[in-house]
Amino acid sequence: MEIIFEKLEGKSLAYRMAMLVFAAFAVGGLISTWIVIEKGICVTGMTNRVPWGLQIVMAIYYIGLSAGSLVISGLYGVFGKQEYKPFARIAVWIAMLFLIAGMLSILTDQGRMDRVFVEPFVHFNLQSMFSINPILYSGHIFICVVYLWALFTERKRFTTIIATIAFGWAFCVHSGTGAIFGFGARVLYESPLLPVSFVTAAMASGTALMILLIVGLFKITKRYLDDRLILWLGQFLAVCILVVVYFLFIENAYRAYVVELRPAAMYYLFEGLHSILFWVGLILIGCVIPMFILFRKKTGQTIKWIVFASSLVVFGVICERYVIVLPGLTHPQEILTGMHITQSAIQEGVANYTISLAEIAQALGVFGVIGFLFLWGMKFFKLMPTEAVIYDQIGMIKRNEYQKRREAKSIKSSE
Amino acid sequence: MNIKNIIQCRIGFFAALLAIIIIIYPLGYSLTDYAIANDRAEAQPFLERTAPEITDCVEDTIYMRYHHWELLGKIREEIVRYGKRGDVSLDTCKKCHTSRVKFCNKCHDAISMTPDCFGCHYYP
Amino acid sequence: MDRRDFMKMTGGTILAVSSGTYAFQFLVASGRSVSGDNIAAGTVRWGMVIDLNKCIEGCTACLDACRTENNVAFHGDNRWDVHWIRKVKAEQKIGTESKEKSILLLCNHCDKPPCAQVCPVQATYKRNDGIVIVDHHRCIGCRYCMIACPYNARYFNMKDSEHWQNEERPKRSHGVAEACTLCAHRLDTGRQPACVEACNNTGAGVLFVGNLNDSDSEVSQLIADRPTKRLREELGTEPKVHYIGL
Repeated sequence: MEIIFEKLEGKSLAYRMAMLVFAAFAVGGLISTWIVIEKGICVTGMTNRVPWGLQIVMAIYYIGLSAGSLVISGLYGVFGKQEYKPFARIAVWIAMLFLIAGMLSILTDQGRMDRVFVEPFVHFNLQSMFSINPILYSGHIFICVVYLWALFTERKRFTTIIATIAFGWAFCVHSGTGAIFGFGARVLYESPLLPVSFVTAAMASGTALMILLIVGLFKITKRYLDDRLILWLGQFLAVCILVVVYFLFIENAYRAYVVELRPAAMYYLFEGLHSILFWVGLILIGCVIPMFILFRKKTGQTIKWIVFASSLVVFGVICERYVIVLPGLTHPQEILTGMHITQSAIQEGVANYTISLAEIAQALGVFGVIGFLFLWGMKFFKLMPTEAVIYDQIGMIKRNEYQKRREAKSIKSSE
Repeated sequence: MNIKNIIQCRIGFFAALLAIIIIIYPLGYSLTDYAIANDRAEAQPFLERTAPEITDCVEDTIYMRYHHWELLGKIREEIVRYGKRGDVSLDTCKKCHTSRVKFCNKCHDAISMTPDCFGCHYYP
Repeated sequence: MDRRDFMKMTGGTILAVSSGTYAFQFLVASGRSVSGDNIAAGTVRWGMVIDLNKCIEGCTACLDACRTENNVAFHGDNRWDVHWIRKVKAEQKIGTESKEKSILLLCNHCDKPPCAQVCPVQATYKRNDGIVIVDHHRCIGCRYCMIACPYNARYFNMKDSEHWQNEERPKRSHGVAEACTLCAHRLDTGRQPACVEACNNTGAGVLFVGNLNDSDSEVSQLIADRPTKRLREELGTEPKVHYIGL
């Protein structure tokens, strides 16, 4: 059966309102970025002790979403699951946009944004993770463009090839992003496991986002969506979360077990705001509740519950990114071994970081830009399938029933 | 065919046109600004000879006019990155060209290009 | 031109431009190293010795000298202040009693600098005379070096500084990272760093800067004769600031 893709009309009130809201976010982000350029980083919550903040958290979150949603398109492209073909184009489009979002977050975080487009490309430092990653990122965007082109032109063989490359590349991209932290010097960063756990968290968040997006889009545009597609994605999401929990456990168990790292582990798990985010935001909301919902027979087979669980995971992974970046920075470095600093001109001991309005505006601004581009693309390119059906007996029966109901409804309303 | 249809048919063309206009706008602006300036003498850099014993610049006028940023960049590279502090530096310029407003800014204002130097380097 | 042609052309152009750029970068990068290569290697290797036993309680001569010499930004807020050299009071427990002493902390000019390794634009690099320095003309302000430094010795210009105490020397605009340069401009012209000069003027004589490769230099003699310690030697960064009486 041929799957027909079409453009969104983009004339409904909901579409226009969403565009307007996203544009407003983008303008807010632009204004706050301008203030940061004019006045310096001091308008954000970052200090000399905590040099990275919300923008980096959001950057790695967006990059994770990108890699994760590419996995969904890989279901069709790499593993040949024909029934997931309707989502392939949207998934690649979203993957490309979220990587651009990550780039925008990193860009607006730099002290000298005017030099970002010149210096890293002229003076290259292969020893730096920050220099290797731009290759991966720009390659990822480029591969996404080619992948989209292959999907648009319906080249089957080429799609398989480029999808496989994209799939592997997405793993590299996310491992590289994890390596920025994992290969770092800070006690709470240093871990060879971090790149791997980054990938799993990315897959969980990407799948969750795709579930939200697909269900939402099909619902709003009143298209037929076979429930079983989402149910399978829900089970996949549950497995992803399980792996995330496993890696989190191993990582923290290691830190708590090794005597040298135990104080840092105690700090990470039980002190300050980030520990609340860790236990409540990540473990409870991000992992335990969604897993309970998804693995339970009754709720795991209901679309509404799966959507609810997905939104929890999308939130939980932001917390996961936060507890990766910030605790490692606020945790004091032991400069003088065996001594306790009592008086100093800078913040010693545990540093504090409060998210400022400027950073929130910037983060929302990036989100606005991407949302705007996404909706614009839906109108401009043929991304949206007319329906998503599994072409077997049950699927056809279900679809026909749905169509009959639609027709009956439209007759009723016309009368 | 009314104007709305024309715009709809040629949307790509108009987008490209807009992009080109945005890209070349700064150049065109400064060029026209420079061309229509009534008093072209305004754009001539002013030289204050407070050190009459120095008659020559480190390079000839034409080179300095069109390549001074290359020279400054080269000196900067040698001093900052390799620690070779020779006779020539930004301080050497100050000896003859005593005022930034009367010297550097003359041309730089005319072509609407603000150099990045003076946020950090003191030049009276 | 239909959309297919347009996509083909766009794709082709992007492919050509990006692959060309990367090929060029790899060629350029392979020819360069992180450290500068114009000063003859092995002749000079600057290092510092700090004799904490002689350091006077409450004296801030070196800190003030550094601030005025290098226009180091001061805003009166401990979130944004920049300190190329700073003095902390630290408590050490020996047996049951605790001893308090003042310690000077500054950039250690490591032989294997983690900050230079992670800098994506080679703005932070090690000169061949061993000084780790930031090229502020190149720094993009990514703050990765501040993450990598295990000594909290690197600072960021969060805000433009209003003061310009020493007009001979540049200050830094906001948005770039910076750290102690060991007064490289003074060492290049044969003078001692500002902090050393100020310290010697007070008569304390705490700070010594000299050539570690020269076995007759004052610093080499001090390191040979007195028990010295470096900060966090176990990290393997090979710092070149040696402490006496830490």
